[in-house]
Amino acid sequence: MNLVQAFKMAFKSIAMKKTRSFLTMLGIIIGVASVVVMVSVVAGQNKKNMEWMEAMGNNIVEVSAYSYTGQDMDAVLNEYVAALDKKLVVGITPVVNLWSEMIVRYGGKTYSTENYDDWRDRIQVVLGNESYGVCNNYELAAGRELSFLDIEKENSVCVLGGGLKEKLFNYTDPVGETITINGLPFLVIGWYQAKNIEDDYSGMDNVLLLPYTINRTLNKNQTISQWKIKCTSSSATGEVTSRVQSFLNGMFPVDENGNQMSGWGNAYSNEEYREASQEQAKMRTMVMGGIAAISLLVGGIGIMNIMLVTVTERTREIGIRKAIGAERRSIIAQFLIEAAVICGIGGILGIIFGCMGSLIAGKFLLNGMILWPDQGIVMGAFLFSVVLGIIFGMYPAVKASGLQPVVALRAE
Amino acid sequence: MLIEIQDIFKIYNEGKESEVRALDGVSLQIDRGEFVAIVGQSGSGKSTMMNVLGCLDIPTYGTYLLDGTEVTDLTDRQLARIRNREIGFIFQGYNLIQELDALENVTLPLIYQGVSVFEREDRAMEALERVGMADRAHHRPSEMSGGQQQRVAIARAIATHPPIIMADEPTGALDSKTGRHVLEILRELNADGSTIILITHDEGIAAQAHRRVRLTDGRIVSDERGKEAAAV
Repeated sequence: MNLVQAFKMAFKSIAMKKTRSFLTMLGIIIGVASVVVMVSVVAGQNKKNMEWMEAMGNNIVEVSAYSYTGQDMDAVLNEYVAALDKKLVVGITPVVNLWSEMIVRYGGKTYSTENYDDWRDRIQVVLGNESYGVCNNYELAAGRELSFLDIEKENSVCVLGGGLKEKLFNYTDPVGETITINGLPFLVIGWYQAKNIEDDYSGMDNVLLLPYTINRTLNKNQTISQWKIKCTSSSATGEVTSRVQSFLNGMFPVDENGNQMSGWGNAYSNEEYREASQEQAKMRTMVMGGIAAISLLVGGIGIMNIMLVTVTERTREIGIRKAIGAERRSIIAQFLIEAAVICGIGGILGIIFGCMGSLIAGKFLLNGMILWPDQGIVMGAFLFSVVLGIIFGMYPAVKASGLQPVVALRAE
Repeated sequence: MLIEIQDIFKIYNEGKESEVRALDGVSLQIDRGEFVAIVGQSGSGKSTMMNVLGCLDIPTYGTYLLDGTEVTDLTDRQLARIRNREIGFIFQGYNLIQELDALENVTLPLIYQGVSVFEREDRAMEALERVGMADRAHHRPSEMSGGQQQRVAIARAIATHPPIIMADEPTGALDSKTGRHVLEILRELNADGSTIILITHDEGIAAQAHRRVRLTDGRIVSDERGKEAAAV
């Protein structure tokens, strides 16, 4: 008996008992669909995370430090980083939080840093230095960055994020225009290309960058305690992190009680965070995929159960087939192919439902992300379900084929 | 000699109190082209006899030479080949596969024989024509009368042109008129050179055969030759 014939017979027998075949498939359908959905949701989350981190800037060391003795940590760190090898470090910028509302006006348009009705219209006023752009992965679209002189002289100049530029100036050139912040005039000297990442809650494109020295007038002289250092590569990031950390440790020694009496300081690389998060994503994929695979296994046991019932039901048919010359392997092939076909069809349906489920999950769980399952997962799930069919079909098939024709014929 | 069995025993639960000797030392020779009836009451061992002769069952002891080959030594695969090519079975209950139509049922042994797709349909149709069922080729067994089903079963049995046809109470479930028709077909097959082994409890049907082997309690009690058609 050839393979084509065996497949025909399998399809025929499945078509003959539609309800039962469908119920049998259901386990596989649900199993495969849940594997596909779970794995793609985790992959989607991971992808989103990576996109975010990419947009925020890679190869970044975040530093926070505070001196109890009132030492100017900004000056200390700038000096330290300036002395570091240029092969390691690109630049350092302070990160300053604003504690009061800022209102930006231009040509009758008004935007606030405290618009909580719509995050799309909320702007973000940030303070930084000439390295702010490079430390945060911004690319200049036109004009220029802040300069050392702007910082020194506390010039009233600003650089706009792509989104804010569009809001205020639409498509006209903003460079050379003057906007007001809380009534004070600022000259626009340049603007950044929009990053256009999905769900930019933190307003990366609605940024308005001022020289951080303005801090004293605008922000009631907050002490600077956070910095970002941009490094040249991921290995340099590790190197810089440990160097800065040991520098800070040396600056703030620990007394006999384990307390830092003169201040504290931490250097933290987001490369580590990125690696940790990738590691975590892998774990999540495995755990979620594993849970889904268990349901697939349960589906497989369902197949075995049904195939065993089928063997019992069709004992007489097996007897007839053997009486007219079916070999053992023909009978095994018949039942195995039937199980594999049921699982294969179930797998395909499961993949279809899984793709639909992923799209729905992407829409509702990941804010409209178009979540398309990975090809490898789809192929893997299909093959796994077919293999499951063969494994769980094996026992009933072997059992069926081993019957003596006369014994099988006697069955009712 | 086509079939030669020597001291065949088929014993169930051997050595136990419930031991049953379905065949108790049977020896028989059947020549090519014979039309043999194996006659006996129910429980006489005649069905067991057919199962053993048809390689559907393995005897507990004894030797069975089929066309000079010792059958009891054969592998499962070789036995399947014999059932496929050497023997055609006709059963009392027809034993057609309900899910398949007449043509597909008749095609089945040809599929197992490995006949090509193009050839086997023609051969199956030829067999159906022979039993006068060509016009019902696409009917399922459930859409046919008992006599029609039995004719399809005969078509299936002859599809591979086996030299031996074994019929186990082929008329048992049919009315006398249809039964006669089925016997007529068997006689024609015999006239064309097939060896027919007919299992029956009905003396009237047995009388149609050229030779009657009578079984009682698993032993042969008589072996008569000569046509007794006049007795019917």
